[in-house]
Amino acid sequence: MTHLRRWAGCALAAALAACSKAETTGTGPDTTGVRLVATVPVPANYGQHDEFLRAGLAFLCSWNTGLQIYDVGDGRAGGSPQNPQFISRVVTAGGEVHNAWWYWAPDGQKRYVFVGQEGPGAIGSSSSGDIHVVDVSNLSAPVEVASYHMAGAGTHNFWVDEANQILYAAYYNGGVVALDVSGTLSGDLSSRLISQIQPGGAGDTYVWGVMLFNGSLYASDMLSGFWQLGLVHDTLRVLGGGNNVPERYGSDLWVANGYAYTGTWGTRAAVLGNAVKIWKLDSAGAPLLHDSIVTPGFTTVSDVRVSADGRLLVFSGEYGPSAGIYFYGLVADPGHPAFIAYYPLVTNNQNGIHTVTISDIGGRRYVFAAEDPPTPAMLVLDVTAISP
Amino acid sequence: MLVAGALAPLPLGAQVSLGAQITPVLTRADPVPGGSSLTELRFTSPLLYGTVDVLGARVRFHVTLDGEGWTMPHGELATGDFGEGWEDRRHPHTWAHELLVSATDLPLLPGGVHWSLTAGKGFAPYGTDDPMMRPALIFPVNHHWAQILERALAILGARGGPVTLEGAIFNGDEPERWDQWPNWRRFGDSWSARALVQASAAVELQASYAHVKSPENRAGAGPDQDKVSVSARLERPLGAGRIYGLAEWAYNAEAAGFFKFYSGLAEAQWSRAAHRVYLRLERTDRPEDQRVFGNPFRTVRPLLESSIIGITRWLVATGGYGRALTPARLPVHVEGIAEAEYAHVTRLTGLFDPAAQYGRNDLWMFSVALRIAAGGPMHRMGRYGVAAGGGPSAMGHMEGMD
Repeated sequence: MTHLRRWAGCALAAALAACSKAETTGTGPDTTGVRLVATVPVPANYGQHDEFLRAGLAFLCSWNTGLQIYDVGDGRAGGSPQNPQFISRVVTAGGEVHNAWWYWAPDGQKRYVFVGQEGPGAIGSSSSGDIHVVDVSNLSAPVEVASYHMAGAGTHNFWVDEANQILYAAYYNGGVVALDVSGTLSGDLSSRLISQIQPGGAGDTYVWGVMLFNGSLYASDMLSGFWQLGLVHDTLRVLGGGNNVPERYGSDLWVANGYAYTGTWGTRAAVLGNAVKIWKLDSAGAPLLHDSIVTPGFTTVSDVRVSADGRLLVFSGEYGPSAGIYFYGLVADPGHPAFIAYYPLVTNNQNGIHTVTISDIGGRRYVFAAEDPPTPAMLVLDVTAISP
Repeated sequence: MLVAGALAPLPLGAQVSLGAQITPVLTRADPVPGGSSLTELRFTSPLLYGTVDVLGARVRFHVTLDGEGWTMPHGELATGDFGEGWEDRRHPHTWAHELLVSATDLPLLPGGVHWSLTAGKGFAPYGTDDPMMRPALIFPVNHHWAQILERALAILGARGGPVTLEGAIFNGDEPERWDQWPNWRRFGDSWSARALVQASAAVELQASYAHVKSPENRAGAGPDQDKVSVSARLERPLGAGRIYGLAEWAYNAEAAGFFKFYSGLAEAQWSRAAHRVYLRLERTDRPEDQRVFGNPFRTVRPLLESSIIGITRWLVATGGYGRALTPARLPVHVEGIAEAEYAHVTRLTGLFDPAAQYGRNDLWMFSVALRIAAGGPMHRMGRYGVAAGGGPSAMGHMEGMD
C-alpha cells in the first residue's frame, strides 16, 4: 500500500526551508528538538560527501580533500561531538573520496579503511572509480596500500561482512561485487574478486547501495528496484525482489526490524525522487512493498539510515526548497514510520544534505551530516531529545 | 542609441571606434521542457563596444559591455542551448564581455614577423567566432564547445605571412552569473593555442586546442576538458552581393576522455543590398545535468560530484531572412529578421529522456527581431593583437537600403 503522507508541519517546514539557511556555526535551529552542536568546514573541493562513524572516530569523505579522520569521542585527541578534533588526512589515488568503511577484522585488527572513489559517470549507463584500501595502523599517518579496479564500472556504497571478511560493493552498472578482504591487503586486489552480479541484467543495472541483513544481501538498484541477493557457494545470486519500483529511480537503503527502507532519486518521467519506500521482508527475506513516505519539496532522498536500536529512521532530502533532514519514529510500527521532526537546511537555494550517519556517543545520539556546497561542512546534530 | 562614431581622431593621437546595438527578439519555442509552448520577448545583445588605438594602433584597447544581465536576466529561449548552468535558454553574458589591451610589434621584430601581447578579460584563442557576430539570431547548441569566453587571459600571438599563431593562459572557471568576475586564483590553470591560415583573401582556416581545468566547478573540483576545433571560413563578394560560409568541427573530451562530445556545424549567408538569407545546419552532443527544482531551464550549481545524467544528440536546422529597414546613410541601422529552427533530439546515453523532458523529440522555434545598431561595425570579438586583422564580423557588413 502506498499513500501520500502529508504531515501537518509540512507547509511550515517548507516555508522555513525556503526562507532560511540553517546556521552552520554555533547553535542551529532548536525548534524541532534537533540541536546543531558542531560544524566542521570542508574545503569546497568539491566538499563533504559522506561520513563513517565508529568508536568515536569520524572518517570524513571529503572528495578531493581526501579521507579525513577526526576524533569525535574516541578521546585520543581530546575530541567530542561538540568539538571534533582533526587527526589526519590522506588523499587516495584520484581523489573523489565518496564513502568509507573502517574494517574490524574478526582477529581484532582494525587496520584498514576501505574508501570508495566516485569518478565520472553517465548515471544509468556508465561509471568509474576504484576501491582504495588505506592502512590506518597509525591513525596519524594513514597510507593507501591497495586498490581494486573494475574495467567499465565504478564503485559506490559498501557493506562489509566482517565475520566472513567479505566486502560487498555496489558498483553501479557493474552491479554488485563481493571481494575477499581477509589477511594482508596489498597492491592490486583483482585476484580477491569472489563474485559479481548485475541483478537487473546488463543495460538495466545501476546499483546504488548494498546492505547485509539476516544473511541476505539487499541491493538498491536505481534502475531495476530493490533486490534480495545471496552469496551462495561463492556466487552472488538473486533470491527475491527486483523490478518493483518502476515509477522512480532508486537510491539509498537501510534494513532493520524486518523492514527495509529505500530512497528514490532525481526525476523519472516527471515523478520526483522524493519517496522513501517501506518494504516488509517475508519469512524468506524477500521484500514486499508495504508503504511509502512521500515528501513534497525536494528531488532526491540522498541517504537513509536507521539507528542501531532500530527506533529512529533518518533520511536526507536534497535539491529543493524542502531539503534537509527528516526524522521518523519506528517504535510503534516500523512498517508505518511516525513523523518526528524536520531539520531544514537549504544551501544555495537548492542543495541541502547529501548524507546522514547516526552514531551513539557518550550516551547521546548524534546525526553527522554532509552539507552541500557552497558552504560544505560536516554538521553534528544532537538528536537525543527527539529519539524515541 | 548611446554612442555613435567611428575612428574619430583624438588630440593625443588616439583613435576611437565606438558602436552600440540591441536586438529585441520575439521567440516562440514549441515545445519547451514540460511539453508546453512558450513565447517570450527579450532584448538580446545590448552591446556597447569599441576600440581605442594609440601609438599608431600598436596599442589597442578592446571593450565590449553587455547589458543582458539587466535586459534578459532569465535568459533567452534557445532550445538545445546549454552552458553556465542553463539549459534550453541562452545565458546572459557577463557585463564585462571584453576588457582587454593589446600591444602589437612593441618592439618591431625583423623578418616580417609581427607579434602581440594581449591581456584582460575576453575570449581565449580557441575555436570560431562568437555566434553573436554570425548570421543567425538564436545561438547554436555548440556555443560552449566552439568558443571559450569570459576568461581572464594573457595571449601571445605571432603572424608571419598568412599564418597566425596564438597561445594563451587563462582561468578555467566559467561564470555562474552575469555579474561574476573570473576566479583570479585560478588564472593560468588552463591554456589554449590556435593557428589561423589566411589561405586567400576570402578563406581563413583555423585549428585550435585547449585544456580547460574544471570549467563547471568554480573552485576547481570538476572534470577538466580537452577541446579541439577546426574550421574553414569564407567571406567574399559574389556578383552584386556577398557570400559568407563557415564549416566547423569540434571535439570536447571531458574527464580525461570519459565523456566525449562532438559537434559539426555548417552555415552560409548570401546578402545583396538590403537583403540577406542564411541557413545553419548542426549536429551537436549535449551533456545533461540535473535540473533545478521547479525550473527546468536551470541546472544545479555548483555541480556536485563528476557525473552527468546523460548525453543527448541534437540535429538542428536554422534558416532566416533579414532585410535592412533604414537607408545606409543614416547613423542608425535597423534590420528586420525572421528565423525558424527545427531540432530533433535523441538520447545517446544516461537516464535523461528527451521525449519525457519535452513531450516529443521534434522541437521548433520561430523568432522575429529587429537588430538596431549605430556607430562603427562590431569588431571580430575574440580576435586580438595580430589576430585582429581579419576584418569585421560577418554581421559587420549589414547594409542599409539604397
